[in-house]
Amino acid sequence: MKLPKQRGAPIDGARMREWLDDFAGYRVNVTEGRIDRWIDQFGTKHRDLSARVLDSVEFVSRSRVATAFRQGLRCIPGWHSRAAKRKGKWVFVPFTASAGESGDTMCHEFRIANGMGNRKFDNLFKYKSDLPDERLGPKDTVIFIDDFAGTGDQAIDHWERVLSELLPQQPTTYLVLLMANVGARRKISRNTEMIVLADTELRDSDNIFHVGCTHFSIADKKHLLKLCRRAKQDEPRGYGNSGLLLVFSHRCPNNSIPILHESNRRWEGLFRRSA
Amino acid sequence: MSTSATTLAPRPVKPKLVRTASLEANPYNPRRLFDKEPMDVLRESIKKVGILVPLTVYWSKTKGKHVILDGQRRWICAQALRLKEVPVNVVAEPSVVQNIVTMFQIHKLREDWELMPTALTLAILMKETKDKNERRLAEITGLDIAVVTRCKKLLSYPKNYQDMMLDPDPTKRVKADFFIELYAVRNDRAVNQMQWFSKNTFTRRMLEKYRDRKSGLKAVTDFRLMKQFINNARKAHKLPEESKRLREFVENDVLTLEHLNIPSADVSASARRLLNSTSKLYSDLEKIDAEEYFGEEELWKAFEKLRDLITTKLKEADRRVKQ
Repeated sequence: MKLPKQRGAPIDGARMREWLDDFAGYRVNVTEGRIDRWIDQFGTKHRDLSARVLDSVEFVSRSRVATAFRQGLRCIPGWHSRAAKRKGKWVFVPFTASAGESGDTMCHEFRIANGMGNRKFDNLFKYKSDLPDERLGPKDTVIFIDDFAGTGDQAIDHWERVLSELLPQQPTTYLVLLMANVGARRKISRNTEMIVLADTELRDSDNIFHVGCTHFSIADKKHLLKLCRRAKQDEPRGYGNSGLLLVFSHRCPNNSIPILHESNRRWEGLFRRSA
Repeated sequence: MSTSATTLAPRPVKPKLVRTASLEANPYNPRRLFDKEPMDVLRESIKKVGILVPLTVYWSKTKGKHVILDGQRRWICAQALRLKEVPVNVVAEPSVVQNIVTMFQIHKLREDWELMPTALTLAILMKETKDKNERRLAEITGLDIAVVTRCKKLLSYPKNYQDMMLDPDPTKRVKADFFIELYAVRNDRAVNQMQWFSKNTFTRRMLEKYRDRKSGLKAVTDFRLMKQFINNARKAHKLPEESKRLREFVENDVLTLEHLNIPSADVSASARRLLNSTSKLYSDLEKIDAEEYFGEEELWKAFEKLRDLITTKLKEADRRVKQ
C-alpha cells in the first residue's frame, strides 16, 4: 500500500493528474469524470478519505509486470534461452486456466517480458492438460505463472487435487507470481512441492482494515467498511478478508476492497473487473 | 495388446528391513490427505505390535531411493513413532502403465476426485497400451465403465476447454458435467452436418450462455432437452428447420431452448402422459406388501420384465445405471 498524502491535502488538478498518470493503462479507462463520480459516492464529508484511498492504491503497470517477470525467471537456476544450455525439459504453464483470466494474460506477459515471443519458444508454453503427456521427471522444470496469491488456500487445494496427479514424477515446480501475501507464500511452500517466487510480498499492514495499517484512522476504516458493505454485502473486506488496495493493469483482484472494483446498483467501482 | 490388472501387478523380489527415513512416498499416489481417526488407530496398533505387513517398495534408479508403492499410511505412522527401520518387500520398479494402474486403484477409494485429471491419466494409459476399448480399460483400471466413457468424452475436447476444468478457482472452474452433457449435441451426426456448424464456436457459445445464465440455461441437463428436440426434428424429417432454429439459438442470447422445439415434432405431450402413468404405477407399486403377493408369479415376472426394459431405456438415454 502506498503512503497517502496528508489529511486535508487539496483535491486539485495536480493530484488528479497524478492519479490519471498512475492508473493509465487499466483495462477500463480511468478518466477524470469517472474519478469525480467515484469520489462523489463518499459524500461531501468524506471526500478527503476518498482521495487518500486513491493515493494509497498500488497500481501495477504493464512495465512493472514485465520487470517482475524478468526478475522472476532470472531467479530460477538452470534456465537459458538456448535449449542446448538448459538441463532437462522446461515448460511454462498458466496457473489459472479460464480464457482471458489472469493466468492466461500473465503467461503472455511473462513470455513477452522474457523475450520469448518468437515461435521457436512455442513448444515451451503448454496447457495444464498437456502436462501428463510431457512425462516430466525430477530433472525437468515446470513454471506456473500467475499474478497473485491472497490466501494460498486455492493453490494448496489445487496442488492436492490436481497438480500432484498431473506431475507424478515430481519435476522441480515453481509458482511465479507478481505479488503474494507473505502468509500465503509460506503456506503454499509448506503444503505443496511448489517453490513460490513472488516479486512483491504483501504484509498485514497492506490490509486496510488491519490494525497494522496506520495510514487510516479507526473512524476512516469504519466508514470505509460501511461503503464496502454497500458495494458488496457478502465480502466487504474483499475475498479472504484481504482488504487490499491493489490493482493490476489487466484486472483488479477480488482480494482488493470492493469499492475499488464492484459495480452494481448501489456502487460504481473505478477499476471494474470486466469491460 | 493384451493387458490385465494381474499381469500389471509388480513382481516381488526379496523382503528386508530398511531405514524409515530413507523411504520416499510414491509420486503416483496422489492421496496426500489421510483421515486422522483411522491413522490414530493404525498408529496405536503399530505401537503395540509393530508393522506386521511389510511395505511394498521399489528401488528407483533415477532417484537412488526406495519408493513406497503400498503402505504409505504405515510409513507415516512409523515416522510418527520414530521407528528406525520398517520391513519392506522390494519389487521391481514399475513401468509407467503399472504406476498408472496403481493410481487408479487409489482413485477407486475416493469419490471426490476431479474427473479431468483422471481422464488425462487415462489418455496416457490408452497411449501406452494402444487400447481404447472401454470395457478393457475399465477392467485394467478398476474404474466403472461409465467413468471411462465420461473420461473419453472429456478427452475429445480441445486443450483450452480441458484446462477450464483444471482451474484452481472453484468459482471459475467449469464442471466436467457441462462438457459431458454438451457432448451429445456437439457430436450429434445431424448437427455436425449442418453447414454453419462449428464445434468450437458452438462450445464457446454454450459455455457463455451457461456461465451468464443466458437463453434460460440453468442446468447442464438442459442439453438433454436440446438433444431431444434435435432427435424429434430428425424423426419428423424437419432437420433443415431445426438447423435454422439451432443457428438462431446459438447466435441469439434472448432465445430460449423452447425455440428449438418444432411443434409438429414435439413429443413432450406424450412424455407428460407417460410421466403421469409412471407416477400412478410407482404409487401402486409402493403400496404392495411383497409377502402378501408372494405367490403371484405372473406379477413378479412382469415386474422383472419391466425392470429390464427400464434399464435398457435408461442406458439408451445415456443415463448412469447402478449395477
